[in-house]
Amino acid sequence: MSSPKMIFRHTRAGIFIHWFNAACWFFLLFTGLALIQNPELNPLGAGYPNAVRAVFGGGANLLVAHWLVALIWLAVWVGYFFWGLSRFVAPFLHDTFTLEPNRDIQWMIKKNLQMILGYKMMAKLVKPLGYDGQMPPQEYYNAGQKVAAQGIIIGALVLVGTGFIMLFSKYFFTAADVWLVQWSITVHFIAAGVTTALLMVHIYMAAISKDERPAFISMFTGTVPAEYAKHHHQLWYEELEEK
Amino acid sequence: MAKQLGMVIDAGLCIDCKGCMAACKVANEVPGDNWRNWIKSGDMDLRAQKRGRMVFQPGNCMQCDKPTCVSACPTGATYKSKSDGVVVIDRGLCIGCGQCIKACPYGARYRNDKLKVADKCDFCASRRAVGLEPACVSTCPTKARVFGDLNDPANPAGKLMAANKAKATQVVNAQSNTDPNLYYLGEAGLKSWPVKAQMPGAFEFWKNLADPAVKVVVGLSGLGVLAMLGKQLMLKNDAPPPEEHGEEGGHE
Repeated sequence: MSSPKMIFRHTRAGIFIHWFNAACWFFLLFTGLALIQNPELNPLGAGYPNAVRAVFGGGANLLVAHWLVALIWLAVWVGYFFWGLSRFVAPFLHDTFTLEPNRDIQWMIKKNLQMILGYKMMAKLVKPLGYDGQMPPQEYYNAGQKVAAQGIIIGALVLVGTGFIMLFSKYFFTAADVWLVQWSITVHFIAAGVTTALLMVHIYMAAISKDERPAFISMFTGTVPAEYAKHHHQLWYEELEEK
Repeated sequence: MAKQLGMVIDAGLCIDCKGCMAACKVANEVPGDNWRNWIKSGDMDLRAQKRGRMVFQPGNCMQCDKPTCVSACPTGATYKSKSDGVVVIDRGLCIGCGQCIKACPYGARYRNDKLKVADKCDFCASRRAVGLEPACVSTCPTKARVFGDLNDPANPAGKLMAANKAKATQVVNAQSNTDPNLYYLGEAGLKSWPVKAQMPGAFEFWKNLADPAVKVVVGLSGLGVLAMLGKQLMLKNDAPPPEEHGEEGGHE
């Protein structure tokens, strides 16, 4: 192969929503962390919320900024959802929520071992135990991407729901409803924590790991080398070949 | 000593006229069923042989030294002011979760029916800003309430404290002493009414379970990423073996 054949993977709309989402998510995570200020909770110590509040001109402004970005983020997503429902959103949800247990569980175990041990170490340590050196072929999304996407989509819905409850508290709720707000804070924190854990792996895989470098580049250019597609997403590649 | 605004109250002087409650409601625009202050009275035993005497106990937020309401606030919207020791609420930062309301042993906090955030006595911050005493203090006809810096013997409340240090009593729940800054002289009347400070279930769950669990999950994720990064940096030439990938299909 002389010059690598490139194949189409991401639409411009998909690339936009990905980076828009990433920017909002970073902003919301770091302002959200700064909104927690209690000696028994401070996840990053007391200095962090104080510093961020100083930047925003006080905690009240910080809260407004968190809400504002969250509402803009949600509005853009709602727009994208309905605009691209049949073209992007429904296929994406179908792909990410369809797991083939035997193939995908095998892939998850092997991929995790390979990422931590490396190919050579894995061949040395795991081959004697019956390792065949084969990764089960994957679709447009591999099993890891699917599980991460599922967690992040569910986490995002929980964050939106609990976020609205907290926002509504100051406008619509009565004293009898505050238990709902109290649990929303706790659940919002848990959902943010779980999605952060997933996104840390996502960011490593995409931006730092060498294996998935072509996927990272495709999130700017929209295309991946055919070789990469064949090796990392074989079932998707075969589907394209048939067309 | 740091400035600590408080009140020294002679319950024996209170005639239960409710003037302080009305004046407070007007001065602070406290809505409907919400009240920032109170007068507690016990039951008088009318069967007693001796002449009964009712003691009325005026009170309001005690601006505690160990405020459980502050401990229950997740955002730091309520805090103890360093400059005068008053426990204040930043209404903009308050998200109206009501955890502080439940955490106060005195029921001194309420959810403001109009503003829909936590609210309570702040010793009339707006009146103090223009040099006036809190409305309840100004209006009291018998001068049962004396207000000022408890640590400064130059003002009336500090002077009373200095003179009655040993005799002044705090009204506290023994199970959760928040070290309040309202002191009572002489007979204080009913003392059994403060409840044990309680943190809401959601907050306890967050503090004891969710917070450590999330830290473990994010920490494990971080460790995993670091392990992979370490492997990547150490094994520079870790190319997949050529027979690694299935060749059974798709190749022309």
